[in-house]
Amino acid sequence: MRVGVLCSTKWGTLDMVAQLTTGERQLAIVVLSLVALLGLAMAAAGRADPIGVHGFIVLAICCGLIFVVLGAYYAPEPSPERLEHYYDDPSKVGIVLTMAWAVVGMFLGVWVASLLAWPDLTFDAAWASFGRLRPAHTSAVIFGFGGNALIATSFHVLQRTSRARLPDQFSPWFVLIGYNLFCVVAATGYFMGVTQSKEYAEPEWYADIWLVVVWVTYFAIYIRTLARRKEPHIYVANWYYMAFILVVAILHIVNNLAVPVSFGHAKSYSVFSGVQDAMVQWWYGHNAVAFFLTAGFLGMMYYYLPKRAGRPIYSYRLSIISFWGITFMYMWAGSHHLLYTALPQWVQTLGMTFSLILLVPSWASAGNALATLNGAWHKVRDDATLRFMMAAAVFYGLTTFEGSFLAIRPVNSLSHYTDWTVGHVHAGALGWVALITFGSIYCIVPWLWKRERMYSARLVEVHFWLAIIGTVIYVFAMWNSGIIQGLMWRTYNENGTLTYSFVESMVAMHPYYIARAFGGLLFLMGAIVGSYNIWMTIRGEAEVAPESADLPEPRLASAPGE
Amino acid sequence: MNFDHDTVVGFTKSWGLFYLIAMAVGVLIYVFWPSNLERFHAAKKNILDEDDKPWK
Amino acid sequence: MAEFHRKIERNAMGFVLAIVVVASIGGFVEIAPLFTIDDTVENVQDMRLYTPLEQAGRDIYTREGCYACHSQMIRTLRDEVERYGPYSLAVESKYDHPMLWGSKRTGPDLARIGGKYSDAWQVAHLINPRDVVPESVMPKYGWLQRNALRIDDLGEHLAALRDVGVPYTDDMIANATQDALGQAAPDGDFAAGVVKRYGQATQVRAFDGDPGTITEMDALVAYLQIMGHLTDAAYKQAAAAEPAK
Repeated sequence: MRVGVLCSTKWGTLDMVAQLTTGERQLAIVVLSLVALLGLAMAAAGRADPIGVHGFIVLAICCGLIFVVLGAYYAPEPSPERLEHYYDDPSKVGIVLTMAWAVVGMFLGVWVASLLAWPDLTFDAAWASFGRLRPAHTSAVIFGFGGNALIATSFHVLQRTSRARLPDQFSPWFVLIGYNLFCVVAATGYFMGVTQSKEYAEPEWYADIWLVVVWVTYFAIYIRTLARRKEPHIYVANWYYMAFILVVAILHIVNNLAVPVSFGHAKSYSVFSGVQDAMVQWWYGHNAVAFFLTAGFLGMMYYYLPKRAGRPIYSYRLSIISFWGITFMYMWAGSHHLLYTALPQWVQTLGMTFSLILLVPSWASAGNALATLNGAWHKVRDDATLRFMMAAAVFYGLTTFEGSFLAIRPVNSLSHYTDWTVGHVHAGALGWVALITFGSIYCIVPWLWKRERMYSARLVEVHFWLAIIGTVIYVFAMWNSGIIQGLMWRTYNENGTLTYSFVESMVAMHPYYIARAFGGLLFLMGAIVGSYNIWMTIRGEAEVAPESADLPEPRLASAPGE
Repeated sequence: MNFDHDTVVGFTKSWGLFYLIAMAVGVLIYVFWPSNLERFHAAKKNILDEDDKPWK
Repeated sequence: MAEFHRKIERNAMGFVLAIVVVASIGGFVEIAPLFTIDDTVENVQDMRLYTPLEQAGRDIYTREGCYACHSQMIRTLRDEVERYGPYSLAVESKYDHPMLWGSKRTGPDLARIGGKYSDAWQVAHLINPRDVVPESVMPKYGWLQRNALRIDDLGEHLAALRDVGVPYTDDMIANATQDALGQAAPDGDFAAGVVKRYGQATQVRAFDGDPGTITEMDALVAYLQIMGHLTDAAYKQAAAAEPAK
């Protein structure tokens, strides 16, 4: 039997289903049927409303998956020998999904970026307008790409650091597939105009409730696996993953409290309004950055970076101190998104103060990562995978510095509402989140599929430089446009009146918007190159692992491109 | 509890600060507690081991 | 006791609790008082409600993601006040579920856009922004003029808003559909009712230029034209501060 088969081919999926016990297969069919019924109920209640369309989408996906399970329903029971190995099938599928979402999300990003330079570069249809594509872009990269990467790597790291297998073989699938169902409902919803308009929390009430169910299961997997761990001490990477799971749950539930118009309407109204809503939203928004895009990915960094460098983390104690610093202080910083607004002054001041102190644990983490590489710099030079992670740590340090800087009131008065914020976000999203993810994925793919190395080291190198150059162009373009914008808005002439009209400031942005779209395009090309490389690695032959007695045939040739 | 502006300012300026310090001290004690040193060291090294199997 | 402690450590529950407690404090201290401190939101007498048509327009503004490029929050900075008008007060978004303050100005702030341009300008601009502002990079929204507005469920929308705290009356909820029709058709039978329920200042016009059909364009323009005019508090405060300058 082939172990490292493609997950998307018929063989791969059947093999993966055959790995489930009969009980788990039955459970899968029962749960899928229940969710399918839920979809049917949504379709019936919603009719022409978008929630009805979503009902049909849910129904179709569940029916498709039921057929997949039925396809191998009568396969023989998996051998008990499987319990001797970690359970990695969900991680494998998660990684493929990560790359698929990356390409989709980054393509949408390039598209919306181009629309700001050439506004008519779209179809005369509602779904293809900027306002609907933009949340599709942000959700596809944050939740589709980032979320899948977190789920896939967290299962991998959790098992290795606990030396324990996942508690069962059904719930990881429920989390992975359920989460992607959420992403699909979210993305298709935006095209239909379904949005709460809360930034990074756009999906409507029914998708939000579904995500809570998925998230509770995710948490349960973590707790159940940790309960069977070998060492009493929990490795610090899991601390970060745990904080990610727990705090995102708190943020998600509070910020999304809403009253639907009816069960047949996708539309709901937030229970918060005005200034309270603004505070709740940016408490959520800022901490989604903190705990989704930072804590989870720090977990990734604390495992894959030392692993790849072959050196233990520089200071384990420092990683714990910065953990509590980040967990405590980030939650205060959200109000720096609302400086000079109608939010009471004392909340603004608290937000600014904590944003500044936050630099300490952030730089402790970045420094800890870089210090780990001391003595391994020759590896960084030769190994693009490790270089991805090194560059990510550098961008993490830069972005957190910039974040604290932008939270200072006078700086914020200039930068807020401008492209500088967009540049800052992308320095973090491209430079930190995406680079650490790509680095981790280039580590994990050969390990999981039992390959000696990636299909092509040279393509990893190409990806690295496309990503770096794309990020730098993007960020510099946005720094320029943001600062110019901010200055033009507040320039006075000698008569004491404003010099520039808004339109003039907008025209001045044009060249930078072109540069930004180009930077994004390079980054997208890097992701496509990476996906190809990963695909070819998966398709290649497995190496003979000494402990896998079920792989008799010898590996024929070393991977091409080496 | 009646939250008015003074209560909150009072809390942040007094207990808020103590709370922050207490938390920092707590974390530092945990981190530098001698008997914890060994498990930290083990955790740091263990992830580099190559055995790719559950322990039981 | 030792057994209990072992269990806690095995299940990592103490650790979970520690994370939840440590992470919750910041949000609690900053958010909870906003609901209980009285002067967070100013108390004004003349604050009016969105009519069903305006609320429908607001829902379209939300649906199309306008907030991604337009803020609705004028900060307390001199250049913003001179460019856009008196700075925004908390009370002005008191009935905004959710708020649409926004975080980015690819286009200008819209907090006080109401009444600055004619209905005809707004309609032409939404159909093709570059017809009236050649340099604009805003998307075209031609379909708003083509789509009939869904009005049969406006009562349910108002009822949901009442559930979250907007003081709509039973009368308003029961007549929501007619009020929407009435506001967009000044010569029709329902025009008097909407003025009666929502006040003399209610703008009753064929916003999209066509009183015959009620379109999404009607709703969105009705919303744009009321923005910044739910209360005069900000203008009064600015006028009062003027001599002192």
